[in-house]
Amino acid sequence: MELTDADLLARVLVDGDQHAFGELVRRHQSPVRGLLRQLVRADVQLADDLAQETFIRAYKHIRSFRNEAKFSTWLYRIAYNVFRENARKRKELVGIDEERLQAEADPHTTDPALRHDLMNALANLPLHERTAVTLCCQNGLSHDEAAHVLDIPLGTVKTNVLRGREKLKKMLAGWAT
Amino acid sequence: MNDSLDNLLDTQLREETAYIDDAGFTARVMKQLPRRPFALSMQRNFIIFVATIVSVVIAYFASGEGMFVHDAFARAATLQPLQLLLIICACGTVMTVAGLWAALTRARDSIG
Repeated sequence: MELTDADLLARVLVDGDQHAFGELVRRHQSPVRGLLRQLVRADVQLADDLAQETFIRAYKHIRSFRNEAKFSTWLYRIAYNVFRENARKRKELVGIDEERLQAEADPHTTDPALRHDLMNALANLPLHERTAVTLCCQNGLSHDEAAHVLDIPLGTVKTNVLRGREKLKKMLAGWAT
Repeated sequence: MNDSLDNLLDTQLREETAYIDDAGFTARVMKQLPRRPFALSMQRNFIIFVATIVSVVIAYFASGEGMFVHDAFARAATLQPLQLLLIICACGTVMTVAGLWAALTRARDSIG
């Protein structure tokens, strides 16, 4: 019988069991790395570095996890904060490069592969919309959970998802049958 | 057209969440974890150990410096060899069963 996240967390908290934490990393590494790859626009090495930092930070602060949210949601929140701190260091904080991102957005990409087009389209969304779409539409978080991760009002998340999707649809309009 | 585009978008976004192979990622994270702090279980074990020592010392002095041990050995010395053997076998059996039970419980809870 496979242990639940809660069982593994209890082992980490009570026994200081690093193997249990390793199992949690193994279970959640894919969605966390996926989210960070979207946030840093496919810079795989940077995304993995940030993902490592995310899990190390989660381990150090594991006692602050209060079971108010799912463990995965808590991890996403840490990942997003790690990303923001890194972006601030790289002077790419939300909003600073939005004009450039908007200017780069090219809805008529010449790449024939739909998924490649989608990746391009996602990468060209403003960061706040890209993050909201990634969390809600790709990672399957509810709007409430995404609001918790991003620490923004629920209405803002809904607006960002809606706007992001509308922009994606415009960029991918050529693929509609 | 808008619906088909919505469906296309939903399908493609979900497909984009393809599983990312671990490829040593977990191992790299584990190597970088800080040394584990003094765990709660260690604290618990320490408290139990100290409490046991204190209890033994109190019991020793409260019982006239362990006269009950002296009395127990005196009583055991009056037993027949067969009775002693039976007591020893019973103790051994109880300890073995308890050990097996503990080992099996731990194996059942093991990860994976």
